[in-house]
Amino acid sequence: MRLRFWTRTRRDNELQEEIQGHLTLAERDQMQSGQSRKEAHLAARRELGNETIVRETTRDMWAWRWIENLLQDVRYGLRMLRKNPGFTAVAVLTLALGIGANTAIFSLVDTVMLKMLPVQKPEELMVLAIADPKATGEPNPELTNPIWEQIRDQQDVFSGVFAWSQARFDLAQGGESHLVNGLEVSGDYFNTLGVHPAAGRLFVSSDDKRGCSGSAVLGFGFWQEHYGSAQNAIGSELSLSGHPFEVIGVAAPGFYGVDVGTKFDVAIPICAEAVIRGSGSALDVRAAWWISVVGRLKSGVSPEQVSARLLVISPQIFAATVPQKWRVESQKNFLSGILVASSAGKGLSDVRRAYDQPLRMLMAVVGLVLLIACANIASLMLARAATRQKEISVRLAIGASRARLILQLLTECVLLSSAGAVLGVLFARWGCAILVRFISSQRNPVFLQFSVDGRILGFTGAIAVLTGILFGILPALRSTKVSLSSAMKGGQQDEAPGRVHFRPGRWIVAGQVALSLVLVIVAGLFLRSFNNLLTLDTGFDRSNVMMIAANAHNTNLSPEARETLWNQAIQRLQSLPGVTSASESVITPISGLGWNSYFHRQTGASPSGRNALANINAVSPEYFATLRSPILAGRTFNVGDASGAPLVGVINEIMARRFFGSANPIGQYVYIDEISGKAGPLIQIIGIVKDAKYRTLREMTPATIFFPVAQLAAQDAQGMSEQPSFEVRTAAPPATIAKTAAEVFASLNGSISLSFRTLEEQVNDSLRQDQLLASLSGFFGGLALMLAVIGLYGVLAYMVTQRRKEIGIRMALGAEKGSILRLIMGEVSILLAAGVAAGVGIALWATHYLQKMLFNLDARDAKTILMAVAILTSVALLAGYLPARRAARMDPNAILRDE
Amino acid sequence: MTPPRQPYQNRMEILQGTLDMLILQILQWGPSHGYALSKAIRTNSGERLKADTGSLYPAMHRLERKGWIDAEWKDSELGPRLRVYRLTKSGRKQLVSERSRWVQITTAIAGIMNPAKRGSES
Repeated sequence: MRLRFWTRTRRDNELQEEIQGHLTLAERDQMQSGQSRKEAHLAARRELGNETIVRETTRDMWAWRWIENLLQDVRYGLRMLRKNPGFTAVAVLTLALGIGANTAIFSLVDTVMLKMLPVQKPEELMVLAIADPKATGEPNPELTNPIWEQIRDQQDVFSGVFAWSQARFDLAQGGESHLVNGLEVSGDYFNTLGVHPAAGRLFVSSDDKRGCSGSAVLGFGFWQEHYGSAQNAIGSELSLSGHPFEVIGVAAPGFYGVDVGTKFDVAIPICAEAVIRGSGSALDVRAAWWISVVGRLKSGVSPEQVSARLLVISPQIFAATVPQKWRVESQKNFLSGILVASSAGKGLSDVRRAYDQPLRMLMAVVGLVLLIACANIASLMLARAATRQKEISVRLAIGASRARLILQLLTECVLLSSAGAVLGVLFARWGCAILVRFISSQRNPVFLQFSVDGRILGFTGAIAVLTGILFGILPALRSTKVSLSSAMKGGQQDEAPGRVHFRPGRWIVAGQVALSLVLVIVAGLFLRSFNNLLTLDTGFDRSNVMMIAANAHNTNLSPEARETLWNQAIQRLQSLPGVTSASESVITPISGLGWNSYFHRQTGASPSGRNALANINAVSPEYFATLRSPILAGRTFNVGDASGAPLVGVINEIMARRFFGSANPIGQYVYIDEISGKAGPLIQIIGIVKDAKYRTLREMTPATIFFPVAQLAAQDAQGMSEQPSFEVRTAAPPATIAKTAAEVFASLNGSISLSFRTLEEQVNDSLRQDQLLASLSGFFGGLALMLAVIGLYGVLAYMVTQRRKEIGIRMALGAEKGSILRLIMGEVSILLAAGVAAGVGIALWATHYLQKMLFNLDARDAKTILMAVAILTSVALLAGYLPARRAARMDPNAILRDE
Repeated sequence: MTPPRQPYQNRMEILQGTLDMLILQILQWGPSHGYALSKAIRTNSGERLKADTGSLYPAMHRLERKGWIDAEWKDSELGPRLRVYRLTKSGRKQLVSERSRWVQITTAIAGIMNPAKRGSES
């Protein structure tokens, strides 16, 4: 008998009947040749041979034979797992964490980097970009509207071509803003992509004609949320940033736009940009880069042919669109550009660009975590295999083949990992939602459409099977390689082979120590890098500052009236209870926005090249006090620095050093080197302010110059004061001021739209990626550490039980408790030392890939590595000490009596 | 004590791979059940060949799975039903190709074993 647990199928009964028939006929023949019934029966059976083997080998011919074997193994495996609920629970949970983390990160990778757009034949789409033949950088996919119009009219390689730009529209008409994600699209956007309407109609070419009135197409989700999917939404009026738009249709569900990571709510034709921006429209501005262009390949045209054709038409397109105000040099540069096309089947994505490296890194980290989890279960299985030795020997002895047993053990492992995978997919869904919330911010909401599609399930399934085989193969091979006689004899094995026997388990633990050390080092690097960012001296105090972004676009006020209104607003904000000070600026710190120009000294040598570039901000006199950026020399602005007065500026320390060296800049003059080549008006330096970060925390603090907002007109930058920001420093938490501040603006003019955000939120939003990396690598590093320690503890505890007899004899022969402790801890130290050495080696080799993601920290930072080693070693020694102490406290008499 | 060995001189092993052909060939003469098949192989080979049941039944089930033979249950006067196999259309085709392969192999082997004949043939 081979230990088989047959369920008798109909087919089986039939086979038995068939063979029975054979026997009956044979018996009859034997009896006809003159034998007795009994002799005939025996002769027939003898001739047939072993009936069971005949049946087995015949069954093997049936196609579903292997499935039956598998089902049988599965049933057997389930029974074994049920018998060890503790082991099963630990293993499944460990695997669920490992597989779940991998599935979550892979879903993110899949959604952001791998998935094709859900449109017709996405592989035919090509995105256009401008390549600078001299520069080595990436081609720039942002084009101007005049360039787009040229491409639209001149290209002959695409069956369709369309353009779009992302925008935010304000649904509110004054008061606090209600921003939605907008798209400005060309007429052929939807039909080139092959998107159908869910209701009404979508844009056609004729909707996108200069001077168009406003029409809008809604995203399906927006239609559901804001209109309850009502049909009468079509034809209704929607206010976008204060302008009426007619809703003409709704795009099909499942279409979110071409930018992966965002979801559009409302789309308007590009021509309607003029309706929203009025005189500030960029439709005819030759130096405003805001449009992306994608074409669909004509059938039979190859991407190479497209590139060749684009090379031919590029000169005439750029000649027709060169910004005439630019100086000659820049114009020449512009004219030498060439249009290039690259695949756009996966859509465009800022999220992809920003998270490409972090996602790869995280994928590697979760892969390592899973590997450690596998190692853990492998060592648990090895320990368990020893207790199952008897069962396995019996099965081998009664004729089970080794291959069959290995297959059976592996089935058990794959069952475990599959259970882990099922639970892991649940973890992953939950993890994905958390991850997206992590990388999403108020200003850049990230929308990712996760679907549990075939690819994700395939990935998870493959991981589950691979994992199962990975942690199962070694235990299966080892436990089936037994000497039958010694195992059958029973009980424990002899000491010497016992030691040898467990060697692979120990090396697994050393490997685990190495891998988890790598993850702890990675975690340490990201945590320290994040800490460097958090504790960085930004040059301003971000606590307790509410920022109010105001937009006077719909007020129809003259620039002068606007300025008066803003001044009144500052006055009233300052007199509010709980407000320490209030100011106005055109740009807020760490907003990601910038304004810069080349500056020159009136006399003396100016810095050359990019060193002459300085960031600009225009602020009210109280700005520095509100942000607590100290004035180091000279003075800040005052009411005297009005629009008619001589132009003045405050510079930061870096600009002072770069432009004036050791000389005193106060009283000196600088001027802007206008892009048209004409020198700007002279600006007198009146003060020096402490260095502060401008666009991001990670940047090298740039040279910065501040102008008074009152003098913006004289700087030819009056448009900047249409959407200023007000900073309010409060004594109490800044959120408390939002309501009263909104009332202040409402009392001045009801059409001003407002949005509120604290400076702290703005700074923290800029650190999303670093926070994500620090949190996740910290989490996984901790997990890895925990798994490694559990593995180490398990192996040592098992080793102590295995070596009970040896320890007992040693003690009986006079070994001190201390020497037993030293014996076990010696083993631990060898494992640890090997693991740590390997781990540090891997880390030194691998972490330089992380350098770009670290802030102010060397990827091979010795302090971080030492800290990681110290943490790991101390935890591991503790894990080793517990079983060692138990060994030392054993009573030799009791042990030897047992044996 | 071991049982006396069967006299071997008149029994040959069935050549590897030819059992399928033999089954198809016998079924060409008419439907048959397993026992009759094994008997036919023995008697038609002049008692020289014996198909082991441990190979015969697996072979028949394999041929059935491949669709070369069909099986149905027939009642017999003896009691148990008998599973009767018949050749299918594709089985007939298979037999033709196996037979031509067999001829090729035997000619080839004969050519090697009897080189004198080879010269006169060409």
